[in-house]
Amino acid sequence: MTLQECYAALEGDYAGVTSRLPTERMVQKFVLKFLNDSSYDLLIRSMESGDYAEAFRAAHTIKGVCQNLDFTRLYRSSSRLSEALRNGLSPEAPALVEQVKADYRRTADAIRAYQASL
Amino acid sequence: MNDRPKNKTTRFLTTSVILVLILSVTAFSFLAHFLNRQSASTIRQVSRMYMSGLSDQIARHFETTIGLRLAQMEALAKDIQPERIHEDAAQREELIANARAREFSYLGFYRVDGEFEMLYGSPLTVTDPGPFMDSLLGGGKKVAVGTDEAGNNVILLGLPTAHKPTEEHPCAAIVAGLPASYISETLSLEENADHVYSFIIRKDGSFVIRTSDATRESYFDRVRSLYEKVDGEDPELFVQSLFQAMAEEKDYSAELVIYGEPRQMYCTKLVNSEWYLLTCMPYNALDRIVNGFTTRWTYTVFGICALVLAVLLLIFARYFQMTRQQMQELDSARKEAVRANRAKSEFLSNMSHDIRTPMNAIVGMTAIATANITNPQQVQNCLRKISLSGRHLLGLINDVLDMSKIESGKMTLSMDQVSLREVLEGIVSIVQPQVRAKHQQFDVSIHDISSENVCCDGVRLNQVLLNILGNAVKFTPEGGKITVAMYEEPSEKGEGFVRIHFCISDTGIGMAEEFRQHIFESFVREDNTRVHKTEGSGLGMAITKYILDAMGGLIEVDSELGKGTSFHVALDLEKAEIPEADMVLPPWNMLVVDDDRQLCESTVSALRSIGVQADWTLDAESALEMVEKRRSDPYQVILLDWKLPGMDGITAARELRCRYGTEIPILLISAYDWSDIEEEARAAGVTGFISKPLFKSTLFYGLKPFAEVMDNPEQAAVSTSLAGRRILLAEDNDLNWEIAEELLSAEGLELEWAENGKICLEKFQDSSEGYYDAILMDLRMPVMTGYEAAEAIRKLDRSDASVIPIIAMTADAFAEDVKKCLNAGMNAHVAKPIDVRDVCRQLLKYMKQS
Repeated sequence: MTLQECYAALEGDYAGVTSRLPTERMVQKFVLKFLNDSSYDLLIRSMESGDYAEAFRAAHTIKGVCQNLDFTRLYRSSSRLSEALRNGLSPEAPALVEQVKADYRRTADAIRAYQASL
Repeated sequence: MNDRPKNKTTRFLTTSVILVLILSVTAFSFLAHFLNRQSASTIRQVSRMYMSGLSDQIARHFETTIGLRLAQMEALAKDIQPERIHEDAAQREELIANARAREFSYLGFYRVDGEFEMLYGSPLTVTDPGPFMDSLLGGGKKVAVGTDEAGNNVILLGLPTAHKPTEEHPCAAIVAGLPASYISETLSLEENADHVYSFIIRKDGSFVIRTSDATRESYFDRVRSLYEKVDGEDPELFVQSLFQAMAEEKDYSAELVIYGEPRQMYCTKLVNSEWYLLTCMPYNALDRIVNGFTTRWTYTVFGICALVLAVLLLIFARYFQMTRQQMQELDSARKEAVRANRAKSEFLSNMSHDIRTPMNAIVGMTAIATANITNPQQVQNCLRKISLSGRHLLGLINDVLDMSKIESGKMTLSMDQVSLREVLEGIVSIVQPQVRAKHQQFDVSIHDISSENVCCDGVRLNQVLLNILGNAVKFTPEGGKITVAMYEEPSEKGEGFVRIHFCISDTGIGMAEEFRQHIFESFVREDNTRVHKTEGSGLGMAITKYILDAMGGLIEVDSELGKGTSFHVALDLEKAEIPEADMVLPPWNMLVVDDDRQLCESTVSALRSIGVQADWTLDAESALEMVEKRRSDPYQVILLDWKLPGMDGITAARELRCRYGTEIPILLISAYDWSDIEEEARAAGVTGFISKPLFKSTLFYGLKPFAEVMDNPEQAAVSTSLAGRRILLAEDNDLNWEIAEELLSAEGLELEWAENGKICLEKFQDSSEGYYDAILMDLRMPVMTGYEAAEAIRKLDRSDASVIPIIAMTADAFAEDVKKCLNAGMNAHVAKPIDVRDVCRQLLKYMKQS
């Protein structure tokens, strides 16, 4: 599996990221590091404990990371979620959390598959 | 629909008013009636008391009068012996003289046999001798009445003699007579000014003293014949009860009616006699007074009642009026709401229609593409159409979002330095494809703009101009003409401002006058068939107007149905201070060729201001001649318009290349997208293109590359000036930090990491002054946000606290967020994802400043 295929699997913008980051190697390094990022766990924890301010920040951070890595799909759902949490819990937030969970799983699965093929 | 409740209210109010009226009239009438009754009974009580007092007084007066007379008699008879009086003539004379002097009308001795021994006066008979004699013989003084020969009543006073009467001297008492009139006068029994009169009667009812109009012998007869009613009863009953009372020697009082007039009667026993005093008083007198009072009182009561009612009515009327008014206001508010709602519903249904059209295209095209997945040509075609429809949809939705932002008052302007050149260039490049597709003529002319850089919300200005220009393109048929003109005027706001005018005219379908008046209202679109095939949200002009209002600008529209429309926008914009001194080109000689004289002149003057000497001409033929003439001192650069009368720009360029070789740069001026002619032009020897409108900066940036080619390239690499600079980067996420560090280190920057706003603040605090060259700040961080950290840093007491560039890095890129950053004291804002060039540009800009 190539990095480009990995990006296709997680619905990211490979052309975008390679144009911003100087080398593919660097992209690879950061993509693999994404698996260790704690923001997702923080988001899930905060949602469960009802700390929506913290959940907002976590969603926002995920959004920022996805922007930097051009993970378009996860970027979109996390962006919508952070808007839904910006002023506390809004009715559409729970559904968006589910969306983010699904997208995160998809992204993480794609990266793990890529990691396994190295 | 609302008539029924209104009627109901009216009916309720009317009923209440009537009820209150009835209630108050009844209450006051009852009060008046009750008090009248009370006053009548009070009169009765008062008069009874008065009468009893009066009767008492008369009775006592009688007693004193009789007592006095009896005392006189006692004095007279002191030393007189009746048996001797007949003999002693002198004593007898003296007695008579003394008695006369005391106005006794009669004097004599009363014998046991009932005969009188008269001393003087006319002979008398005692009317009721029995009790008189009994009393005298019992040793008591007594008053009785007798009749003289003329038939006149005489009051007789009997004084028993000192000695018991004997056979020899049968004289029982000395009797003196007084005329009845004396008593009645002394006691004022006759009817007086107060209409009070009295009788004296005996037990059997016969009159002793008859006064007033009484003619009968007996009071009882008088009662029977004259009195109509006594205490509401038959007179006979009254007679009986009076008789009864007299027999028991009790006082008696009654109310009786005579001659239709009520009177109060009071009866009391007189002392030293068998007589009874009857005093009568008509109610008239008391009644008049009390009635007068009662009447006044009643009037007052009714007056007050009327007043209270009037006030009540007034209050009711006012309340009614107020309710009416309120209902009218409610009604109009409701109508307004309904109207607004209808406008929105209509708009929604129009919008739905508008959204459905591109949606259908997208769905349909997707289906076609799926069916022809193996045919790349077809798929590409479908995708192109899908993306077109998508973009159209996005435009519609953006309008709706803008409008809702405006309606909820959330739209803010983000002022920034804007280059009018860039704005206009951007717009021209956006509308050009459409203009070309419709084969429309398109002209942009710029007249003498002195301050190209102004402070303005560039995005919104773009939106305004695009809206107007987009409409112009949309509503102008194929082959029509669209012109955009921009010029400058001194502003009324002062030195630092300029008034920029944009005039956008077309030869399109125009609009009707009644629509023109509503063009800036929300949710309005000219609703007829000729417009229906053109899509749009109908919000564009409302948004345009709102933005211009927010910017303090003016917009006017002039239109004629079928002839075209012309919009005029005027804005007072603040001049941005950009050092124009930097804009200097080498002292070239240039030639400008364009068929627009105005453009030539303004271009030449613009070129002069950036240090270039230029000539101009209106057509290609004369241009060739001029180049030929200056062969010895050739033009360094030639600007050629593409469309020229006669020989066009490309032909001219080819000619020039043929004659003079490839050295001189030849630039083609064009308002159009030159991609179509680029190949041909390059082949003809054109060096490059420069796009209209020709601002000073357009010329500068367009020509600068040639200066660098010709002169020494002096452009320093951006990164060199950044090398070694120390940057403090606040970012809570490791991954983001690593990416940033990786990217920025590659540019030669030295980065230090702060995991949150607080650490960032502390690191900055602990560093020596000037240690960090700039701070890059993420906004959403735990413990302390970027906003708070920036504010705290700016408040620190150290020389670099206020000047160190702080640049926000965030995933939020709304104008509001940018504003918030600037308010928190940050210098600028770059959006994520991190774009090294962007970050470096900002760093460079602000580090240079500080």
